[in-house]
Amino acid sequence: MLELQNIHKCYGKTEVLRGVSITVERGATVALIGPSGCGKSTAIRIAVGLANADNGNVIFDGESMGRKRDQWQSLRRRVGYVIQEGGLFPHMTARGNVTVMARELRWSHAKITDRLDELAALTHFPADALDRYPSELSGGQRQRVALMRALMLDPDVLLLDEPLGALDPMIRYELQDELKSIFAALGKAVLMVTHDLAEAAFFSDRIVLMREGMIEQSGSFEHLRDKPTTDFVSRFVTAQRGHERNGSGES
Amino acid sequence: MKTRTVVTIGMIAGALLFLGFLLSSQRGNRDSAAPMIVTGSKMFAESLILGELAAIAARESGYEAIHNGSLGGTAIVFRALEEGEIDIYADYTGTLIYETLANEGVSDFGSMRSALAVRGIGVTEPLGFNNSYGVAMLGSRAEELGVRTISDFAKLDRPTISLTPESADRADVWPGIRETYGLPIEEPTILAHELSYRAVVQGEVDAMNVYTTDAKIAAFDFRVLEDDRKHFREYQAIYLYRLDLAERAPGVIEELNSYAGFISNDLMIEHNSLVEIDARAPAFTAEQLDASIRGRDVRVIDELTMTQVLWKRTQEHLWLTVVSMALATIIALPAGVLAAKRPSMGLVVLGIAGVIFTIPSLALLAFFIRPLGLGSPPAIAALTVYALLPMIRSTQVGLASVDRRLIESAEALGMGSTRRLFLIEIPIASRSIIAGIKTATVITIGFAALGAFIGAGGLGEPILTGLRQNRFDLLYAGAGCAAALALAAHGLFDLLERLLIPRGLRA
Repeated sequence: MLELQNIHKCYGKTEVLRGVSITVERGATVALIGPSGCGKSTAIRIAVGLANADNGNVIFDGESMGRKRDQWQSLRRRVGYVIQEGGLFPHMTARGNVTVMARELRWSHAKITDRLDELAALTHFPADALDRYPSELSGGQRQRVALMRALMLDPDVLLLDEPLGALDPMIRYELQDELKSIFAALGKAVLMVTHDLAEAAFFSDRIVLMREGMIEQSGSFEHLRDKPTTDFVSRFVTAQRGHERNGSGES
Repeated sequence: MKTRTVVTIGMIAGALLFLGFLLSSQRGNRDSAAPMIVTGSKMFAESLILGELAAIAARESGYEAIHNGSLGGTAIVFRALEEGEIDIYADYTGTLIYETLANEGVSDFGSMRSALAVRGIGVTEPLGFNNSYGVAMLGSRAEELGVRTISDFAKLDRPTISLTPESADRADVWPGIRETYGLPIEEPTILAHELSYRAVVQGEVDAMNVYTTDAKIAAFDFRVLEDDRKHFREYQAIYLYRLDLAERAPGVIEELNSYAGFISNDLMIEHNSLVEIDARAPAFTAEQLDASIRGRDVRVIDELTMTQVLWKRTQEHLWLTVVSMALATIIALPAGVLAAKRPSMGLVVLGIAGVIFTIPSLALLAFFIRPLGLGSPPAIAALTVYALLPMIRSTQVGLASVDRRLIESAEALGMGSTRRLFLIEIPIASRSIIAGIKTATVITIGFAALGAFIGAGGLGEPILTGLRQNRFDLLYAGAGCAAALALAAHGLFDLLERLLIPRGLRA
């Protein structure tokens, strides 16, 4: 469904991505993981066109994306994108945030209401909170609104950049469960950036571990744990699991 | 709901414009009974009276006439006549010969008349009084120091003198008298005429320049020093008029000439004193003067009460402010967006607005007289460009400080950049944008008081009149109304902010 082919990206003289290829099939959840500065966020930004690759292709549903604005604009309506802390528009209510694009696309009022009800049920978002502004919502609720907004147009692909990063552990744990069942229910292609291996393992059939702009190893969690191809992979896995044993869950 | 802020910012501008048109249609109605003859005057009582008198003369000949008073100094009023802004005003032979036409080899009445005719300006016979320049001291102090002549004054130990801004720039007054009498004064104090009297009475300066028909000479017990070296020339009062009046309004010129020789120095001082000391309106005073010259009864002239005057001026002030704020908003918002979106253009736009903002406000007003004439158009233009900087800057800052992640979120939703600007960026920047409009409005209300200098009316008018007539009640009332207007505008915008800025941005 979504394919990044041999992506290169420089910011100034710093090479952020050095030939990254990732494929996400329909129904699959892929987790991009790695230490800060490994290029995982840049990769997901390139996938939604917020950054342009210097080299390489983004292929969406068999179509190679160029640099044309129109092409990206219509692509984006088939992609849901969620960032840390939600990126909600502060001057719009939860309802306003979720439905803004549908209204832009002149959906009928009934269709919008139906879709919103459906999403609120899916994400367990309380109906009476729909008319609150982001500043009046809890962190978990904000993230649910961001997810609803991303899902509103029923996209084929869902891109999530540290979607749970700003939440406190309790809420995060709760939302993880919900997200996973939502992903399973929707059967979309999901690409998620996280820095937490446990979270990656929880969500994904396939984990892509990045380091300094390149893919170090990819595969299931067990594959990474049991058959690390490099010393870095085994150290990364050990370090993260060590945290887990210490009971912090944060890294 | 999402477009609420955009719509409402648009509505502010729209409402301002509407209010402007409403007020302007009121003015328009007044203007539509269009006066054929416009008389003008400089900024002092005698000139105002003669401006009103000329309007009476025009009405006597059967025309509509209005007096556009207190336009400024000689240069401004003369140019207004040359350019047809006004048709008639009173001036003095000395002023024209030695100042206005100084470079044209004019030396007497005849050559002055020819030089004026070339410019399409005609001149009446002398009206009868000589309002020359003079130097005056407080009578008691002159007595004490034994000063009778200007030569005596020059011999004082470190004498000081106060001059009006206009006379300080006139070769025939300063440095003329300094050279003739060898006055040991390097820097004269420059003060408005009315303030000069105070300065002399309070002993801050020894002497001042006066006009020889000035009502305050007697009122303040001043002594006009004898011009023992005959420095000051004759300043015979005359009317200047546009020569095309002969065709446009036959009879008016004859009517003006009928005053010639009938207004003596004493008659003029008496009527100046009505305005300056008794605080009567120039229109009323001119009616009295006309009646006494023609030997007829004085007609009743409705003099406006102070409340009526203030109400009228407040409306004018509001009109100036509202129209210029609406125009400025229409210009500044797109300019602010441009400045935020294209930083290189922003530098240019803000640079221009910044330079305009540093121009002294009075100079800016004067600048627009040439292309736009006198009255409210140049005042509105000046107020508009003056308001641009705070508005453009606040728009630019507001837009530039919108969180980058929100812009990307909108982009990632597939929202086009224009829609994003209106749906996301401008609403989020609305607080800053409205604050800019608020600041600009308050500045503009203050600045609009200067409109009175170029005949635009407004609350500067009672302030200037109060100053001219020594009527501090009028002065304070004018200033008070302007301050109240500024406070009201401030309050109105506070209310607007509460209504316009979405709840989510206020929390």
